[in-house]
This record gives sequence, structure tokens and C-alpha cells, in this order.
Amino acid sequence: MAITNPRPAEPTLSVNRESVEGTCPGCGARKLQAYPVLSEAGWFDVVKCAECLTDVRRTPGPKLGPIELLADRIRGGGHG
Amino acid sequence: MSTTLLRDLTDEQFLERYDCDRFTASVLANRLRYSAQHVTTGLLHRAFSPIIALCYDFAACVCAPPEQDYAMSAVTNGLSIFLGTMSAGVRVAVEEFGPENLVPGDLLICNDVYRMGNHYNDVCFIRPVFHDGKIAGFIALRAHQLDVGGIAPGGFSAAKHNIYEDGISISPRLLYHAGEPVRETFSLIFDNVRMAELMLPDFHTMQSCCALGEELIQEIIERYGIEAYLGSLRYACDASAESMRQAFASMPDGDYSASGSLDADGVDDSEEYTVALTLRKRGERLEADFSGSSRQARTCINAGALDAKTAVGVGLKMLLSPESEFTSGTFRDIDLVIPPGSMVSALPPDGAVFCYYEVSALINTVLCEALGSVLGEAALGGDFGAAYVHNAYGVGPDGAPWMCSAMAGGEHGPRGGSSAGDGDGFSCSYIFNLMSPSSESLEADFPLRIMRREFLPDTAGPGAHRGGAAVAKDVLYTRPGEHQTIPLRFRHASGVGVRGGGDGALGGVWVFGRDGAPTSGPETLLPTDDSGYAAAVAVAGTLDPVTRAPRVDGEFFYYGRDPGWATEAGATWRYVTNGGGGWGDPLERDPQRVLRDVRDEYVTLAAAKRDFGVVITGDPHADPEGLVLDEAATEKARAARR
Repeated sequence: MAITNPRPAEPTLSVNRESVEGTCPGCGARKLQAYPVLSEAGWFDVVKCAECLTDVRRTPGPKLGPIELLADRIRGGGHG
Repeated sequence: MSTTLLRDLTDEQFLERYDCDRFTASVLANRLRYSAQHVTTGLLHRAFSPIIALCYDFAACVCAPPEQDYAMSAVTNGLSIFLGTMSAGVRVAVEEFGPENLVPGDLLICNDVYRMGNHYNDVCFIRPVFHDGKIAGFIALRAHQLDVGGIAPGGFSAAKHNIYEDGISISPRLLYHAGEPVRETFSLIFDNVRMAELMLPDFHTMQSCCALGEELIQEIIERYGIEAYLGSLRYACDASAESMRQAFASMPDGDYSASGSLDADGVDDSEEYTVALTLRKRGERLEADFSGSSRQARTCINAGALDAKTAVGVGLKMLLSPESEFTSGTFRDIDLVIPPGSMVSALPPDGAVFCYYEVSALINTVLCEALGSVLGEAALGGDFGAAYVHNAYGVGPDGAPWMCSAMAGGEHGPRGGSSAGDGDGFSCSYIFNLMSPSSESLEADFPLRIMRREFLPDTAGPGAHRGGAAVAKDVLYTRPGEHQTIPLRFRHASGVGVRGGGDGALGGVWVFGRDGAPTSGPETLLPTDDSGYAAAVAVAGTLDPVTRAPRVDGEFFYYGRDPGWATEAGATWRYVTNGGGGWGDPLERDPQRVLRDVRDEYVTLAAAKRDFGVVITGDPHADPEGLVLDEAATEKARAARR
């Protein structure tokens, strides 16, 4: 069972990209942005250059991305 | 990551990276695919469920052990829309259950769409492969089950409002423990689904097929050693990643955008649901951003984020790197940016996910369009773009229920034009890669007759290589029944033209003789010309309000205005698919090929002149070999159009 998520009111949706201070090590642009992505190994929170897509930081995100399971709030759950 | 290509590694470098020589790595990568393929071959030959036995609605893969983050290293041929979700699904299910809790002979089961992608019917079976008491990998088999409960028998309905109406959600748990069935899991499932008697032997078969897969992998390990085996898992993924990386590198940098939509959800037709996609390509990396897409639908025509990932991965591989093997490495240089709560990342409980495959097909269309101006010769016209799934069910005279799911609607149709030629075909939409069940099998298993499957004239997208012509399929039901139809792509062309090619025509869905009609005799074969539609009930399409024939600027007929289409014996359902998109300028098409199209009644005389600038005289129906190409008039007509 997942946590309830209301239907968004806006007709279209976009991923929020948060500006981050700094310079891209790849192209030198000052256009770093932080946002979540889904890739080969699952969800990651990244800081990337909007100009050349160079990764500045990539850390594992929530295992199911935007979905939270109610069971994950149970302490000490397990098998047998 | 080294920029040295795999083929340029020295033998020493290759051995250091993959713990085996390159010949062994190649052999083992092939053996892994062979092992996965054997798992599904066994299921195909022994399954009782028609959608498995007739349609190939399954896939299997080999995933790496936890130490390699469950990377998917080998997959089966066939159904591709499972493949991008299975690696993540294996990771999520095993981690939630706990790899330390697994023992030899276990079989995990899970179908939760938000954990694993796809829809609840697509149940995933996961068997750990043990070697010397340690998990060396996993065999995962995903197969569509006939029913998983919920409000619609078989599940194929676009009208389900939330996960509770959708069916039973199975969180990761054991179906078999140490080779023995876990009764409480079987009971949990079979106490909540229809047709369980048919599914029970299939569940036993899944177990035995996965056990076979484990044995085959253990043979590989015994023969070649655990280190070479583990190295070959890494090699297979690296090879896929390298192929995609090279494909990206060969494309010009840029931002490429396109959008498309599903017609309406199951509530009403007030809201179209748009997939907007921007591909940002820089060097060897690509970002696929779905920002601007519609919020999740009110009924289950949504997809989950893993489905969007699959569609992008499969679509890009098909367009850019068709010769490579599909593994989780295919995604290595792709980041997906997916707004939560959108139709490509719906959230529970109200963002129900069932028709994810329609979103997958739509994403594929959007990819064809976005890259149509980028790929040059490699561009591909859009296909008929959907599944047009039909679900029919009822009760026979002896009280036995029957149910025909996803096999007797408009599931097969034409493809788009390409550099290789015209796009004709009677196959699943690009993204699905399922089999077309035989008419004989369907007629033996269900109270129906396949009366027609044929191409329709003037429905192909014009082009130097035209798209495929739309397919008309008439299915006559010999008993009363309830029907669900899910045609979601009739407002706008799905067969998008590329490189100057035209779009394919729009189709529609009709019921003839809804209140009863003969079930045998010559009158059961219905005419296909436009005059016949007025006598039918128009179920879906953009149609002329009077004649009810397809008309691109006509009235939209909403499929969901009747939540369940009840019909009497003798009713005939007609599905006309969309046409495929054209490739290249139709004025460049060889006039002799247009002449052949007219002779074969793909193109009428009028359309030959209107769409291709080719003037032909004669009677294609009465005297097809007597047609004459007027070269002078053709030259003049084309010159006037250029």
C-alpha cells in the first residue's frame, strides 16, 4: 500500500530544476541545476550542467522515486 | 569510464576488466541469452493461458547478483515493453524481501506496478541462482496473467478509477520456498482472481521454467567458473552501453522535441492526455525530459515511470542502435526526467496504471517525430501506434464463462515507411513485439469468427516509401457478450510522416448488428466501403457525423460513453487501425511503384494523382493488369506540385 497522492490540479506538469551555484567542470558554464532523474541503476538526485549535461554530483535517490510505501514506516518489519 | 572501445582493449586489459578473455565473454553472453530464451520457450509450449500460449505475452531476463546491483545482462526475444522494468523490478523486489532471506528453490512473486512497472496482470516471477551457497544472479520471468481481480474481467478496461478497481497488488513474497509451493501466497492470489483454475498449472510451469533457467546458468558457472560468469554479466551490459553511447555520439547535439496525445480517459472526452518529450543530446549523453506532459488521467490509461523508461530505452535502441543487445546498460548514458503525478509517472491510489502500453506506444510515436528530422536516412515513420485492445467475455449455454482478452480487437496493424522500403505489415505496434494469434486458435477457443483482415486503400501515409495501409478486421461473435474497447489514438495521426512523408489515415471502431444478426451465411461478410457504416453503431473514431466513416475533420466519437458494450449473437466488431507514416517526399516515389499500389488497391486512381502526382488510367478492380501509367501527365502534375 502506497501513501495517498492527490491528483495534481495543473493540467500539465514539469520537473522542478533548482539552480545551484557553481561552474561546470566540463564546459565552464554557470548553469548547474539539481533535480531527480531515473537512469540505469534507478533513481538519482543529480546536479548537472544544463548546457552540456556534465554530472557534477549524483547520489542515489529514493528507491521508488516519488512513491512512498506505507510499510516503510513500520519499524522492525521482516520475515519470520 | 575509459573511452577505449571494447574491441580496442588489449587481451590483458580485457582479462583484467572481465575476468575472462573476450571470446569467453562473448560465448557466455550468448549462453545467458540462450538460458533466458529457454525459460520462455518452456512456458510457451506448456502454458494454458491463451494470451501466453498464442500471443507471446511474456519475457525473461538474467539479472546480476546484488553485488552488481541486479544489472540485467540478458533478455529474451519478443515482448520488449517488459524489459526496461525488469531490472528495477528485480532490484526492488529482492531488496524489499531481503536477499539474505532467500534460499535455493525459492521463487519470489510481485506484480505491484509502482514497484515494478507494467500492469498488475504482468506478474513477475524471480528465482535466485545459487552457487556455492551464494546468490550468483537471478532468473526473472514476467508473464501476463488472465485475470488479477478488480472490476473488469481480464483487466482490459480503460474505466478503472484507482488501484482498488484495478486488481490485486502483490507485494514481493514467496510463491515457492525451497522448491515447495507456499500455500498462503497461492490462496491470496487465487482467492482474488477469475479463471484461477487455468492459471494454477501455469504457475507451476513458471516455477519449473525458472528452475530450468537456474540449472542452465549453474551449468555455465560450473563449466567456465564463477569469475568468468560474473565478468560476462558486466561485459554484456558494457557492450550495450557502448553501442548506445556511439549512437548518441553520431547524432548532432541539440534539443529535439515532440508531443502526442491519447484521446481521452474513461471518465469523459473533455481532456486529452499529452506526452511532451524533449531529448537533450550532448556528446555521448542524452536526457529525456517529459516536462510539459499531462497530469495523470482519472482512469487507468496512465503509465508508471519505469514504463516511460522502458519506452524511451526500447525506442531509442530501435531507432539508433538496432544491432545491439538490449540490457540495462542500454540506459547507462540516458537520464530520464519525469514529473511525478503525470501520465508518465502516475501515483497511487488514484493514478491507476493499466494501459501503460498505450503510453509506451505514444512515446514511441513521439520519438519517431522528434528524431524524424535528425536521423536522416535512418528516420522511421510512425506506425499505427496503439494496441486497440478488445476484451470480450460472457457465459456459454453450459454456464461456463469465456473471456477473450487482447486478441480479437485491432492489436495488429501497419508500420511506417523507412529507408528499407514501404511499411506494410500486420504486426504489433513497434514497442510491443508480440505475436499475432492464429484465426484458427481464436475460433477454437472462443465463440467468434474472424471474418476479415485486410488492408484498406488510401490509408497509408504517402511517401517516397509509403507507410503501411490501415488494417480492417471484422470479428463476428456467435454468442451474446460484454465488450470493453480501448481505442486511444483516433483524434490525431499516430503514423507520423518523416522526411517530408505524409501522415497515415485515422481509423475507427464500429459494431454491426449489435442487437443481433445472422451468425452464418453470406450476409455475415460486411462491406468495407464508406456507405456501410451508417448502419453500424459508431464506437470510436473521428468520423463523419452522417456516414460514420472516418473523416479527419469529423466528429470525435468517444469510446467510453458506454462503459460496457453489450451485444447479442451475430454482432460484428470492426476495427480499422490507423495507417503508417510515410518516409520521404511522395513526389519522389517511383511512378511504377505507385502503379503497382493502384493495381494492388492500396491506392486509388484519385489518390495516386492527389498524393503522389502520378496519373494512371484504367480500372484497377476489373482490369488491374490493364492499368496505364501516363508518364507525360505525371511529369506535368509533379512539376506543378514542386
